[in-house]
Amino acid sequence: MSARYYFDHAASAPRRDEVAAAMEPWMHGVVGNPSGSHRAAREARRAVEEARDEVAQFVGAKPGGVIFTAGGTESCHLAVAGVTHHHRRNHDKSAIVISRIEHSAVTDAAELMARDFANVSVRYVDVDAEGVLDLESLRQNLDTDVAIVSVMSANNETGVCQPLDGVSALAHAVPDGVVTHTDAVAAAPWLYLPLLTSTIDMVSICAHKIGGPVNSGALILRSGIALDAMVPGGGQERGYRGGTVDVAACVGLAAAVRITAEELAEVNDRVIDYQHRLCASLSFLPGCEITAPAASKVPGTVHVTFEGIASDELLFLLDQEGVCASAASSCSSGAGVSSHVLAAMGIAPERAKGSLRLSMGPETTAEEVDALIGILSSVVYRLTTGA
Amino acid sequence: MSGGVDSSVAAGLLIEQGHDVVGATLKLWGGTSDSGCCSVADVDDARRVAQMLGIDHHVFNYTEEFERHVVEPFVRAHIAGQSPNPCIECNRHIKFDLLFERAERLGFDAVATGHHAKVLSRDGAHFLVRGADDQKDQSYVLGYLREDQLAVLMLPIGAMNKREVRVHAERLGLRTWDKPDSQDVCFIEASKGREVFLGQRIVFTKATIVDRVTGEVVGETDAAELMTVGQRRGVLPARDGEKRYVAKVDIKERRIEVGRLDDVLINVIHLDPSSLNFAHEQLKDGSVVLAQWSAHGRVQPATLRHEDAWWLELHAPARPVAPGQSVVFYRVDEPAIVEGAAIVAAP
Repeated sequence: MSARYYFDHAASAPRRDEVAAAMEPWMHGVVGNPSGSHRAAREARRAVEEARDEVAQFVGAKPGGVIFTAGGTESCHLAVAGVTHHHRRNHDKSAIVISRIEHSAVTDAAELMARDFANVSVRYVDVDAEGVLDLESLRQNLDTDVAIVSVMSANNETGVCQPLDGVSALAHAVPDGVVTHTDAVAAAPWLYLPLLTSTIDMVSICAHKIGGPVNSGALILRSGIALDAMVPGGGQERGYRGGTVDVAACVGLAAAVRITAEELAEVNDRVIDYQHRLCASLSFLPGCEITAPAASKVPGTVHVTFEGIASDELLFLLDQEGVCASAASSCSSGAGVSSHVLAAMGIAPERAKGSLRLSMGPETTAEEVDALIGILSSVVYRLTTGA
Repeated sequence: MSGGVDSSVAAGLLIEQGHDVVGATLKLWGGTSDSGCCSVADVDDARRVAQMLGIDHHVFNYTEEFERHVVEPFVRAHIAGQSPNPCIECNRHIKFDLLFERAERLGFDAVATGHHAKVLSRDGAHFLVRGADDQKDQSYVLGYLREDQLAVLMLPIGAMNKREVRVHAERLGLRTWDKPDSQDVCFIEASKGREVFLGQRIVFTKATIVDRVTGEVVGETDAAELMTVGQRRGVLPARDGEKRYVAKVDIKERRIEVGRLDDVLINVIHLDPSSLNFAHEQLKDGSVVLAQWSAHGRVQPATLRHEDAWWLELHAPARPVAPGQSVVFYRVDEPAIVEGAAIVAAP
């Protein structure tokens, strides 16, 4: 294989050189335990707290609200299960309200709580045909039994942005208020989180979607949120997450958020052109339909469906040509599974079977986009004509 | 590649022969499974084997098609009192149909599997032949293959016995070399069985068990759908102490007919005409074949008859065969060669 065209940033973004450089001193030799009291511990502690400051700034929160975790899934789980646990100990009933298009990190945390506790239930909020949360459906699902409402900032499969201001307005309108959480993992590379999530109580982010290391993320609390720890352990992270803090992971996350914030405007300007170019070219391919054509989307994601083509075959031939892309929904075995997101949007299963997500990032170049368009055209032509 | 030793060795041998090989694992069953060939652990094994062999590996998702072509018909057949073989249906509709079509679209010249059977090519025609290992021969479950499929099928381990396959696996350094064979139906959890699986999907029918000769009621069952024609286990012996065999399962009439072996023996097997499949030319009325109707059953000579309907006249009486099972026809003159197959119809 000669060239490689990486269009799967939404699965995992290329590791930034700046991130690797920042982590490097913490990868070998003495790395103090940040909980200790000697100089090595103090050095480690200082690095962690500086990282905490940067992560807080990235989201527009106070440093004291940052809980370092091992990634987006853990952050979302801690938010949903932690708040619900606390709520159910103090209430007769606890409802978890989530959108139908949440990542399984949120959905499974909610379902697990409902499975294990009779007084916990999950309520699903619909989205419209463009994949945007239906605020009226949300309003109908909110009442004083609700422990938490969790709506992602942007969807990981389609890239469609969600109306978070509407979510918080409705949540705050409930007597005594409802805690809000947003999974901002897919939005973090593109959207200015201090503004976007300013009215949301809890924000989950992860490092590897923005050029940082995997197994690194954070749950950021704005203020006054009561939640239980999932892994109490040694009381680290203000008791919310036990276990020795991984200095390199924290430093890596901080480097990733720093560089993402610095480049945010420039990268958005550049990649949105690629997004338009890709959509315009793909829309001419036989049987191709742009998903959520009218919705506001993060610039890096182009999601399409092909009539009469199976994703598995499309991805296979793209892979042969050096293109790394995905069908956006997959299970741990690596097989594509039917997407709950597309189903929630009312997209027919036959169409959903031919879905393709092309996701870009800061490293993506115009040449790569041109090459992709050429390869994709020939692959689709081959699959539709058998040539 | 199932993650098992047979398909792993098949891939390894093809690479050694100089072929350009890509590994594929089919994700077939979306539910829970503790056996068979499509759990996450098996996919992981297959992927790891492919990595060790240095080939690309892809997972193809056929869960919807598997549900439609294998699981649903399996359930429907039981509702009708039949006993299908889901592995045959999977081979027929998924592995050797959808996967073959896909392979062609993706530009492959051939598809190889780790089945214990051989493809013989002679005078431009291709024949499915029993595998070298009598104990492992899988030609029965491949009985529906046609010439066009056989022409692009490679079965690299068909000429070996299982011991030889394991020796190759060890030589190739494959980590699955001592993995036990999977033998169960992949979508039925071995720890729970068919009863639990079907019980979640259908309401079982209570039925009376009647001696077909005397008409005497000899027992009852809570789940007529779980009774299989030909079965002896689970059927109470009558007062004479002699064992009884299930001769007929009639769900509608809520009636299971049983009888002594002598009372239930059959001379004719009716065939579902829509299921008839011949590898090459259609056999004529009066053709003599060697028929086999279970995975490791013995063959029995029979004459294929075709007037309005299709049926087999057995040359010697046999225990009753459950409707839904497949009969595979082997040649009389070359008894290892498969000529066709059909599904047993209710009389």
